[in-house]
Amino acid sequence: MAISVDPPEVSRDLCKKAGYTFTFLSDPNAEVIRRYDLLHVGGGTDGHDIARPAEFLVDSARVVRWVNFTEDVRVRARGDEMLVAAKGLR
Amino acid sequence: MPDMIQSHRNWALWLGFLLALGALLCNAVFFVNPPGKRAIPWLSVLLAGVSLIFLVRGLQRAFGQPRVYLGKILSSIVALVSLLLVGVAIFSFFQARAIPASAGAPKVGQTAPDFTLADTSGQAVSMAQLFAPAADGSQVVPPKAVLLIFYRGYW
Repeated sequence: MAISVDPPEVSRDLCKKAGYTFTFLSDPNAEVIRRYDLLHVGGGTDGHDIARPAEFLVDSARVVRWVNFTEDVRVRARGDEMLVAAKGLR
Repeated sequence: MPDMIQSHRNWALWLGFLLALGALLCNAVFFVNPPGKRAIPWLSVLLAGVSLIFLVRGLQRAFGQPRVYLGKILSSIVALVSLLLVGVAIFSFFQARAIPASAGAPKVGQTAPDFTLADTSGQAVSMAQLFAPAADGSQVVPPKAVLLIFYRGYW
Protein backbone atom coordinates (compact mmCIF):
# COMPACT_ATOMS: atom_id res chain seq x y z
CA MET A 1 0.00 0.00 0.00
CA ALA A 2 1.53 3.27 -1.09
CA ILE A 3 0.89 6.62 0.60
CA SER A 4 1.83 10.09 -0.63
CA VAL A 5 0.47 13.64 -0.76
CA ASP A 6 -0.48 13.13 -4.43
CA PRO A 7 -4.20 13.55 -5.16
CA PRO A 8 -6.08 10.35 -6.18
CA GLU A 9 -6.12 11.37 -9.87
CA VAL A 10 -2.33 11.65 -9.99
CA SER A 11 -1.92 8.25 -8.34
CA ARG A 12 -4.49 6.78 -10.72
CA ASP A 13 -2.48 8.01 -13.70
CA LEU A 14 0.69 6.64 -12.13
CA CYS A 15 -0.89 3.20 -11.56
CA LYS A 16 -2.17 3.14 -15.13
CA LYS A 17 1.21 4.10 -16.58
CA ALA A 18 3.33 1.86 -14.36
CA GLY A 19 0.84 -1.03 -14.14
CA TYR A 20 0.71 -1.03 -10.33
CA THR A 21 -2.19 -3.05 -8.94
CA PHE A 22 -1.69 -2.43 -5.22
CA THR A 23 -3.56 0.26 -3.29
CA PHE A 24 -2.47 3.89 -3.56
CA LEU A 25 -3.74 6.22 -0.83
CA SER A 26 -3.88 9.97 -0.97
CA ASP A 27 -2.87 12.12 2.01
CA PRO A 28 -3.04 15.62 0.50
CA ASN A 29 -2.83 17.43 3.85
CA ALA A 30 -0.11 15.07 5.10
CA GLU A 31 -2.14 14.22 8.22
CA VAL A 32 -1.18 10.55 8.32
CA ILE A 33 2.33 11.37 7.17
CA ARG A 34 2.59 13.72 10.17
CA ARG A 35 1.10 11.06 12.49
CA TYR A 36 3.91 8.73 11.41
CA ASP A 37 6.47 11.57 11.89
CA LEU A 38 7.51 11.31 8.25
CA LEU A 39 6.87 14.90 7.20
CA HIS A 40 9.60 16.43 5.07
CA VAL A 41 8.85 20.14 5.43
CA GLY A 42 9.41 21.90 2.12
CA GLY A 43 10.78 18.69 0.60
CA GLY A 44 8.64 18.87 -2.53
CA THR A 45 8.98 21.14 -5.50
CA ASP A 46 7.73 24.68 -4.81
CA GLY A 47 8.41 24.03 -1.11
CA HIS A 48 5.47 21.66 -0.62
CA ASP A 49 5.48 19.51 2.51
CA ILE A 50 5.77 15.88 1.45
CA ALA A 51 6.51 12.47 2.97
CA ARG A 52 10.08 11.33 3.39
CA PRO A 53 10.49 7.82 1.93
CA ALA A 54 9.86 5.05 4.49
CA GLU A 55 8.54 1.48 4.40
CA PHE A 56 6.72 -0.38 7.21
CA LEU A 57 5.56 -3.98 7.40
CA VAL A 58 2.57 -4.05 9.75
CA ASP A 59 0.94 -7.29 10.94
CA SER A 60 -2.76 -7.86 11.57
CA ALA A 61 -2.37 -6.79 15.24
CA ARG A 62 -1.07 -3.49 13.76
CA VAL A 63 2.38 -4.18 15.20
CA VAL A 64 5.32 -2.96 13.11
CA ARG A 65 7.42 -5.99 12.16
CA TRP A 66 9.94 -4.40 9.81
CA VAL A 67 10.90 -0.84 8.88
CA ASN A 68 13.19 0.83 6.42
CA PHE A 69 14.26 4.46 6.64
CA THR A 70 16.56 5.48 3.85
CA GLU A 71 19.35 7.99 4.34
CA ASP A 72 19.23 8.97 0.70
CA VAL A 73 16.03 9.54 -1.28
CA ARG A 74 17.64 7.82 -4.27
CA VAL A 75 18.12 4.61 -2.28
CA ARG A 76 14.85 2.76 -1.52
CA ALA A 77 14.04 -0.68 -0.20
CA ARG A 78 14.20 -3.20 -3.04
CA GLY A 79 11.27 -5.47 -3.77
CA ASP A 80 13.24 -8.57 -2.76
CA GLU A 81 14.18 -7.00 0.60
CA MET A 82 10.52 -6.37 1.31
CA LEU A 83 9.62 -9.92 0.24
CA VAL A 84 12.22 -11.38 2.60
CA ALA A 85 10.75 -9.30 5.44
CA ALA A 86 7.23 -10.44 4.57
CA LYS A 87 8.23 -14.11 4.33
CA GLY A 88 9.89 -13.85 7.72
CA LEU A 89 6.47 -13.31 9.31
CA ARG A 90 4.79 -16.32 10.84
CA MET B 1 62.41 27.41 -38.42
CA PRO B 2 59.43 25.16 -37.67
CA ASP B 3 57.99 24.93 -34.20
CA MET B 4 59.87 22.07 -32.53
CA ILE B 5 57.64 21.87 -29.44
CA GLN B 6 55.81 18.58 -29.44
CA SER B 7 52.34 18.78 -27.96
CA HIS B 8 51.10 16.19 -25.52
CA ARG B 9 47.64 15.20 -24.55
CA ASN B 10 46.76 16.67 -21.17
CA TRP B 11 45.58 13.31 -19.86
CA ALA B 12 45.19 14.57 -16.27
CA LEU B 13 42.67 17.18 -17.40
CA TRP B 14 40.72 14.78 -19.60
CA LEU B 15 40.72 12.12 -16.88
CA GLY B 16 39.34 14.75 -14.52
CA PHE B 17 36.58 15.46 -17.02
CA LEU B 18 35.74 11.77 -17.46
CA LEU B 19 35.64 11.21 -13.71
CA ALA B 20 33.33 14.21 -13.29
CA LEU B 21 31.07 12.77 -15.98
CA GLY B 22 31.19 9.39 -14.23
CA ALA B 23 30.29 10.99 -10.88
CA LEU B 24 27.11 12.29 -12.44
CA LEU B 25 26.27 9.34 -14.70
CA CYS B 26 26.62 6.67 -11.99
CA ASN B 27 23.31 8.00 -10.62
CA ALA B 28 21.64 6.37 -13.64
CA VAL B 29 22.33 3.03 -11.93
CA PHE B 30 19.39 3.74 -9.56
CA PHE B 31 17.01 3.05 -12.44
CA VAL B 32 18.31 -0.53 -12.65
CA ASN B 33 17.84 -0.95 -8.88
CA PRO B 34 20.83 -3.27 -8.31
CA PRO B 35 21.69 -4.90 -4.96
CA GLY B 36 24.18 -2.84 -2.97
CA LYS B 37 22.99 0.40 -4.49
CA ARG B 38 23.52 2.08 -1.12
CA ALA B 39 27.13 2.50 -2.21
CA ILE B 40 26.30 4.48 -5.36
CA PRO B 41 25.95 7.91 -3.67
CA TRP B 42 29.34 7.40 -2.05
CA LEU B 43 30.86 6.27 -5.34
CA SER B 44 29.53 9.45 -6.89
CA VAL B 45 31.20 11.78 -4.37
CA LEU B 46 34.37 9.70 -4.50
CA LEU B 47 34.58 10.10 -8.29
CA ALA B 48 33.82 13.82 -7.93
CA GLY B 49 36.62 14.22 -5.37
CA VAL B 50 39.19 12.32 -7.43
CA SER B 51 38.10 14.33 -10.47
CA LEU B 52 38.99 17.56 -8.66
CA ILE B 53 42.52 16.30 -7.99
CA PHE B 54 43.08 15.51 -11.68
CA LEU B 55 41.54 18.82 -12.78
CA VAL B 56 43.96 20.77 -10.60
CA ARG B 57 46.89 18.69 -11.93
CA GLY B 58 45.71 19.23 -15.51
CA LEU B 59 45.35 22.96 -15.06
CA GLN B 60 48.80 23.20 -13.48
CA ARG B 61 50.24 21.53 -16.57
CA ALA B 62 48.24 23.66 -19.00
CA PHE B 63 49.25 26.90 -17.35
CA GLY B 64 52.86 25.77 -16.80
CA GLN B 65 53.42 24.70 -20.41
CA PRO B 66 50.46 25.97 -22.43
CA ARG B 67 52.13 25.14 -25.74
CA VAL B 68 52.67 21.52 -24.79
CA TYR B 69 49.44 20.72 -22.97
CA LEU B 70 46.21 22.04 -24.44
CA GLY B 71 46.28 25.88 -24.30
CA LYS B 72 45.23 27.92 -21.29
CA ILE B 73 41.83 28.87 -22.69
CA LEU B 74 40.75 25.43 -23.90
CA SER B 75 41.95 23.73 -20.72
CA SER B 76 40.12 26.32 -18.63
CA ILE B 77 36.90 25.56 -20.51
CA VAL B 78 37.31 21.79 -20.00
CA ALA B 79 38.06 22.38 -16.31
CA LEU B 80 35.06 24.67 -15.89
CA VAL B 81 32.64 22.21 -17.51
CA SER B 82 34.07 19.41 -15.34
CA LEU B 83 33.76 21.60 -12.24
CA LEU B 84 30.11 22.17 -13.05
CA LEU B 85 29.51 18.39 -13.30
CA VAL B 86 31.36 17.85 -10.02
CA GLY B 87 29.28 20.59 -8.42
CA VAL B 88 26.00 19.03 -9.54
CA ALA B 89 27.12 15.57 -8.34
CA ILE B 90 28.11 16.87 -4.89
CA PHE B 91 25.01 19.07 -4.59
CA SER B 92 22.72 16.11 -5.43
CA PHE B 93 24.52 14.01 -2.83
CA PHE B 94 23.72 16.45 -0.03
CA GLN B 95 20.28 17.29 -1.42
CA ALA B 96 19.26 13.61 -1.52
CA ARG B 97 20.40 13.08 2.06
CA ALA B 98 18.65 16.14 3.51
CA ILE B 99 15.88 14.02 5.06
CA PRO B 100 14.28 14.69 8.46
CA ALA B 101 15.25 12.32 11.29
CA SER B 102 11.71 10.96 11.94
CA ALA B 103 12.56 10.06 15.54
CA GLY B 104 8.85 9.70 16.36
CA ALA B 105 8.08 7.23 13.55
CA PRO B 106 6.79 3.83 14.72
CA LYS B 107 9.58 1.35 15.40
CA VAL B 108 9.65 -2.45 15.20
CA GLY B 109 7.43 -3.84 17.96
CA GLN B 110 5.38 -0.65 18.28
CA THR B 111 1.80 -0.23 17.14
CA ALA B 112 1.34 1.53 13.81
CA PRO B 113 -1.22 4.36 14.03
CA ASP B 114 -4.49 3.59 12.29
CA PHE B 115 -5.67 5.88 9.52
CA THR B 116 -8.35 6.37 6.90
CA LEU B 117 -7.40 7.76 3.50
CA ALA B 118 -8.91 7.91 0.02
CA ASP B 119 -7.69 5.46 -2.61
CA THR B 120 -7.38 6.26 -6.34
CA SER B 121 -11.14 5.95 -6.84
CA GLY B 122 -11.88 8.19 -3.86
CA GLN B 123 -12.95 5.25 -1.63
CA ALA B 124 -12.02 5.59 2.04
CA VAL B 125 -9.59 2.87 3.12
CA SER B 126 -8.56 2.28 6.73
CA MET B 127 -5.88 -0.05 8.02
CA ALA B 128 -8.25 -1.63 10.57
CA GLN B 129 -10.71 -2.39 7.78
CA LEU B 130 -8.00 -4.14 5.71
CA PHE B 131 -7.45 -6.70 8.46
CA ALA B 132 -11.13 -7.13 9.31
CA PRO B 133 -12.94 -10.25 8.00
CA ALA B 134 -15.08 -9.51 4.95
CA ALA B 135 -18.28 -7.77 6.05
CA ASP B 136 -20.45 -9.70 3.59
CA GLY B 137 -19.44 -13.01 5.15
CA SER B 138 -17.50 -14.10 2.05
CA GLN B 139 -14.53 -16.44 2.36
CA VAL B 140 -11.90 -13.82 1.50
CA VAL B 141 -9.09 -14.28 4.01
CA PRO B 142 -7.78 -10.99 5.45
CA PRO B 143 -4.04 -10.42 4.89
CA LYS B 144 -1.46 -11.42 7.52
CA ALA B 145 0.30 -8.12 7.10
CA VAL B 146 0.31 -4.93 5.08
CA LEU B 147 3.30 -3.14 3.65
CA LEU B 148 3.03 0.65 3.98
CA ILE B 149 5.18 2.53 1.52
CA PHE B 150 5.41 6.25 2.14
CA TYR B 151 6.84 7.99 -0.90
CA ARG B 152 7.54 11.56 -1.93
CA GLY B 153 4.94 11.82 -4.68
CA TYR B 154 5.22 13.24 -8.18
CA TRP B 155 4.86 16.95 -7.66
